[in-house]
Amino acid sequence: MTVPAIQTSRLTKDYGLGRGLFDLDLEIPQQQVFGFLGPNGAGKTTSIRCVMGMIRPTSGSAHVFGLDCLRDSVAVKRKVGYLPGDVPQFGGMRGNEVVAYFGGMRGGADPHRVRELAERFDLDLGRRFREYSSGNKQKLGILLAFMHSPPLLILDEPTGGLDPLNQQEFYRLVREVRDAGATVFLSSHILSEVEHVCDRVGIVRGGRLVRVAELDDLHRIRVHRVELEFADGAVIPERAIREADGVQDFVVDGRIVTCTVHGSFEPLMAALRGVPVTNLVSHEPSLEEFFLEYYREGDELAVRP
Amino acid sequence: MSWLYALRQGRWGIAGFSALAFVITLLNTIGFYRIAGNTPTERAAFARSITVLAGQFTVLLAPPFRADTVGGYVQFRVYGALAILVAVWAVAAAAGTRGDEERGLLEAVLATGVSRADAIASRFLAFAMGGVVVAAAAALGFVLGVDRTQDAIDAFSVLGASVLVAGIALACYSLALLVTQLVSARFAAAGAGIVLLALFLTNSLSRTIDALLTWRVLSPFYYYDRSQPLSPGGNFDVRATEVLFAIAVVGAVAATLAFAFRDLGSPIARLPVRAHPPVRDISHVPFWRAPIVRGLYDRRFGLVVWMAGFAALAALFVVLTKQIVQPLLAIAALRPYIDSVIKGDIYPSFLGILWFAFGQLLIAGYAITQVGRWSAEDGDGRLELVLSQPVSRRAVVLERALVLGLGALAIAAAGAVGVALEARSQAIVLDTGRLATASMLLVPFAGFFAAIGSLLAARVPRATVGVLGGFAFVTYFIDQLAPVFKWPAWVEDLSPFHLYGRPLTSGVDGTGLAIMVAVVLVGFVASALLLERRDVGA
Repeated sequence: MTVPAIQTSRLTKDYGLGRGLFDLDLEIPQQQVFGFLGPNGAGKTTSIRCVMGMIRPTSGSAHVFGLDCLRDSVAVKRKVGYLPGDVPQFGGMRGNEVVAYFGGMRGGADPHRVRELAERFDLDLGRRFREYSSGNKQKLGILLAFMHSPPLLILDEPTGGLDPLNQQEFYRLVREVRDAGATVFLSSHILSEVEHVCDRVGIVRGGRLVRVAELDDLHRIRVHRVELEFADGAVIPERAIREADGVQDFVVDGRIVTCTVHGSFEPLMAALRGVPVTNLVSHEPSLEEFFLEYYREGDELAVRP
Repeated sequence: MSWLYALRQGRWGIAGFSALAFVITLLNTIGFYRIAGNTPTERAAFARSITVLAGQFTVLLAPPFRADTVGGYVQFRVYGALAILVAVWAVAAAAGTRGDEERGLLEAVLATGVSRADAIASRFLAFAMGGVVVAAAAALGFVLGVDRTQDAIDAFSVLGASVLVAGIALACYSLALLVTQLVSARFAAAGAGIVLLALFLTNSLSRTIDALLTWRVLSPFYYYDRSQPLSPGGNFDVRATEVLFAIAVVGAVAATLAFAFRDLGSPIARLPVRAHPPVRDISHVPFWRAPIVRGLYDRRFGLVVWMAGFAALAALFVVLTKQIVQPLLAIAALRPYIDSVIKGDIYPSFLGILWFAFGQLLIAGYAITQVGRWSAEDGDGRLELVLSQPVSRRAVVLERALVLGLGALAIAAAGAVGVALEARSQAIVLDTGRLATASMLLVPFAGFFAAIGSLLAARVPRATVGVLGGFAFVTYFIDQLAPVFKWPAWVEDLSPFHLYGRPLTSGVDGTGLAIMVAVVLVGFVASALLLERRDVGA
């Protein structure tokens, strides 16, 4: 049995006042693209920094390919390509000097791989870092993470600043390295990004992992907004609809009923059995809307797995 | 940008420099009564010894006037140094403005509808208020330190001295602000520092080099030195003070114009970028691949500038030594005092104090700039990316220490070459072995500051430079004041300036060297351990 690429056990980083990361249990098998979703301040970057050994957890542990992230941090980082949330400043250094500097720390970088990545992202390594646009800085960060073909990539919001074409190129690159055997752990608050590349998704909120799902599961737990128009004279089965499993936000306006349906439509359909419905409109929210719904401040989780 | 916001941005600078100004003034004022004696004869003798001492510091301080009085002594000893202190603060504050620009803060402020002129004016006003606070703190130190049973305080004298401090601070700030508008953000601090240092030296060297007399009118420090209000009978040159404030206003207006005409994030004039085909290859320079070498190569331009500047200043100080010592020797009345103060050969003794005292300050400055870079790497995320490579935190600290040590060694060696070559042409006989020793001792001296800085950077990276700069000033004044207050030896040993000793005349102080090396080792080991346990990037 192969060891997981990343495994955390009750990983906690408590900053006080309810901030931080709490009891993160995560297991990411090898050769998988795992998306770590959450709004700003949810604990995504804290989780990543714990795994990278940048910050010491208050309790719990994190392992990469079976290696302890703190005790074996140097060995761990040999296996990891890392893109931080903010690409650091390199001032007047040229792009190719930055690459050589960090390549040198790994005993040298593969020049063919560097050239290939620079060409794919149309990145001019002859320019000074200070002259780069934010998108080019991000491309350089991606190049630094991928250039040594690591078995694990940990990428903190990797597409920030990239234009759509380069985003697509990035998604292709992620799929390629996954197909070549690498594991990718990327954090994001962009659901379309997850749809594009991830095999599995973890959703984090308020420092706690609230759900891990296959991408298909994510689709299944989506919320639908439904508008029903009943025929003239039809008796609206208000009670049956209201009590149907998964139905919420029930509103009656004349012959029109609106509600939201969580999960399967079956309970709603059962409630409507025998009642003439002249029109039914189901609006499937985008992943973004779903995400907002999921994380609505102060609410209990809108979606129950 | 409101001036209140700008004031908030600079609050730590104001607090730190005010505290320094207060403590330095208070201690020196109290110290006067400890060392100057009580009778007119004792004080006259004290004033003569101060005159001899002043000869060694002529490149830093204006000559004393009525050093037999507390006002004259504090004017010479403290208010001369305060000009340097506020100039350093001005450079840091002006460079900080460009730093805010690099971080995007200024862009955000301008986007709110604040005009560029308002942005500069707010900064200027906030610094002016800070200058007033620092001047008031210094005045308070003097007032509290004066023994009123022996001396009366002339309020107008104190006010005059305070006005001068505020004036030189503002003049330096506006000139630094102007320079920072002209160069790229990368060279803002260095550019402003070089310009102010050049203006300072133009004035101070004109005391011994006649060729500079016509140029010193360009220096704000010249107008500062024209007045000696605390000295009884000393003058307060109203015209010179007006010029000082005029420089401040003109500099600020010019800085505003420069800011109005340049692009945000760019200097006022940029060299055109040559068109070139896109580069896709990694740099082929082999230096990037070797640990330590890559650190030195990364700093190559700065290091070359430091080496060249250090060597040139070293040579200049040899020339100054010759020019200072010869006239002093010609004054027969001073000979007994010179003999009592100077032990051994007079030229090496003067050179040891003149150059190596100044060289210590410079090399401490080098160490602080390197430490500043370490803490900046922490703040801008570069350390996080370095630590994401397969290198341990201990290795990072070790590499930093070695890069700094080798850099300091190269600078010290350049200084030794400068001294040796110029001494030969000035017919000053120096012991080559002692010159080499004195120069090489600057390496553990720099390491002392770097180790303390490394410790601070591992624990409180954001406060490192400020605290280390304060530490440098405090330890410098420990060395200066310990003999005055007869502090115990262990207090003196807290100061690397004392631990360095007088190697050019007395050889290596083994105890001092051992303590410096111990601090270097303990400091770096402890900082490595602290860094191991500290969160990075959080």
